[in-house]
Amino acid sequence: MDRILIVEDDSETAAAVATEVRALGCEPVWLATLEEGVAAAISGDFRVVVLDRMLPGGDGVEAMARMKAGGARALILVLSALGRAANRVEGLEKGADDYLPKPFEPEELRARLRALLRRGTMEVLDNDLLAFGDLEIRMKARTVHVKRAHVAVSPKEFELITYFARHSGQVVTRMQLLENVWNLHFDPGTNVVDVHVGRLRRKLEEAGSAAIQTARGEGYVFAPQIASGGAT
Amino acid sequence: MPWATWRLAAGMAFAVALLSLCAMGLQYRLVEARMSEAVRSALAADLGGFAALYEQRRIIALRQAIDYRAAAGGREEMLLLLDRKGQVLAGTVERWPDGLQAAGEGFGTDGAAEFRQGQTRWLAVARILPGGFPMLVARSLAPVDATLASLRRGMAALGVALLVAGAVVGGLAARSVMGRIGRVNALADRVAQGDLSARLPGPRSRDEFGLLETHVHAMLDRIENLNRATHRLSDTIAHELRTPLNRLMQKLGRVEGQPEVVEELRGEMRNAIRVFDSLLDISRAEADQGVGGGLVPVDLSAVAAEVWELYEPLAEDKGLTGAAAVQPGLGVLGDRNLIAQMLSNLLDNAIKYCSPGDSLSLTLTEGPDRHLLRIADTGPGLPEDIRGEAFERFVRAERDRGIKGHGLGLALVRAIAARHGAKLDMPAAEKGFVLDIAWPKLPA
Repeated sequence: MDRILIVEDDSETAAAVATEVRALGCEPVWLATLEEGVAAAISGDFRVVVLDRMLPGGDGVEAMARMKAGGARALILVLSALGRAANRVEGLEKGADDYLPKPFEPEELRARLRALLRRGTMEVLDNDLLAFGDLEIRMKARTVHVKRAHVAVSPKEFELITYFARHSGQVVTRMQLLENVWNLHFDPGTNVVDVHVGRLRRKLEEAGSAAIQTARGEGYVFAPQIASGGAT
Repeated sequence: MPWATWRLAAGMAFAVALLSLCAMGLQYRLVEARMSEAVRSALAADLGGFAALYEQRRIIALRQAIDYRAAAGGREEMLLLLDRKGQVLAGTVERWPDGLQAAGEGFGTDGAAEFRQGQTRWLAVARILPGGFPMLVARSLAPVDATLASLRRGMAALGVALLVAGAVVGGLAARSVMGRIGRVNALADRVAQGDLSARLPGPRSRDEFGLLETHVHAMLDRIENLNRATHRLSDTIAHELRTPLNRLMQKLGRVEGQPEVVEELRGEMRNAIRVFDSLLDISRAEADQGVGGGLVPVDLSAVAAEVWELYEPLAEDKGLTGAAAVQPGLGVLGDRNLIAQMLSNLLDNAIKYCSPGDSLSLTLTEGPDRHLLRIADTGPGLPEDIRGEAFERFVRAERDRGIKGHGLGLALVRAIAARHGAKLDMPAAEKGFVLDIAWPKLPA
């Protein structure tokens, strides 16, 4: 069973994280201070570290370098009340693999943990052709085909569909899309992302693929195999 | 600025030289008066001697005395005695000087006159002695003139020396003053460029300049502390508010059977967080205003195009027309996320307030000294009554109460503009809202 380390001084939050970890079929290990957390991350075998920032003993972001220097190979998800764009960018620049501001929604955390767990095992997607049944994405030519018919997508839509493809089968949240496809780390308030996903989705549907589905209340899921079976 | 210092130095040198020259002038007058007085006394003594001789043996005695004196060859005296016909009876010169009239009898010095012969000035008493004998007794003023002339030469030389010395000393003083003011100025420049922790190295002198540096340092310490306090406060607020909100959020997750209510509550929480995030962003951007730290070269053209591209489908869906005209490759020193946030606030606002059929545009061009970014729409624009304060926090127009918002969007836009040293301008538009943002160019 994969183990996930939670370094968090707030027990309520730690419990909520642990719930999500178990829901993903992993084993949570909770530590409340930074020193213990750093030591455990270095000595233990963890897939992911969920790291708070304002901890007894210091700032988690500052400790990431020590963890990595000590030989910790776990991916790091910073989970912090310091949630403004500047804080997030700082965390990512200092080596975090993902950064989620508090308060977080359980679905968001689950989506991100799943993405990180998968990243650890994901085969490198450098082959030119990504094929999902009827849906084919050619990376070099930057083209999308459904049932051998070309689907015209804008450059941003192409980036969007490749991000979906890399996380096929998982729920992807709007915030993840905004951060990874648009590289924006603030909440624009309006659901601009929905409009873009909606357009891409309509194009694919017109070509006969229902690859992008809405995951109610959570985000989107790219499930081409199941969808193409059900599509008419 | 250096000019003022140099002018002061020159003025002081000039004033010192002038005062010294006045003092020397006074002395000159005194010397002149004393020496003239001495010559006049010598003349009086001469005349007294001749008067005594005349008392004893009249003209004969005078003639002998003058002959005797002429033989002695004194150059400081001019003596001449003529007979009734103007023939020389005795004298140190051959002829009566031109333009000198003999007047009166007796041997007093009254009516002594000056005349010039060749290069020499003389003080003379010319009389006609009883019986019609003109007689001249004169004393040379040459020693007086020579003394005064050398005095004048000395004064001129001293004046020049004073001016030169004054200029040199003044210049050195000015340079030292300028150097020390320059140090403080350089410090102020560094701080203005964003290095709040800049300080002057080395020991401080025990004079007013040292005091000035101490004061400037104290001021900078205070600014730095305030800035740090703002940063700490926003972190603390974030922590203290988000932690309980987070617990609420987690507990909401355990509520079962009321998904709509839970979703609604989450929406409200997201909203509350957006408000205080905006407030923190505004105060942070204001605190960092003019502080260059944390800003990096950003491709403004790329960010503008990306944000436009993000919002374009939303605008199309709402039935707005419009386009972006972005000149590529324009860079600024900035924070990409802040710039994107600012532009997204503006586009979001425009889309929110415009109606189907309105147009919306974003243009970015290179101006002569700044990059000009304009966002213009043909929507309802700003109502006149809030035009002046639209960029203040929580200011919203009465008519917009029905539209979702907090009145923080434009305040954040202004704070982010100020953080980047960009100038905002709202040119008058026939219809709609037009905002110009003039960005400082990336230093070459």
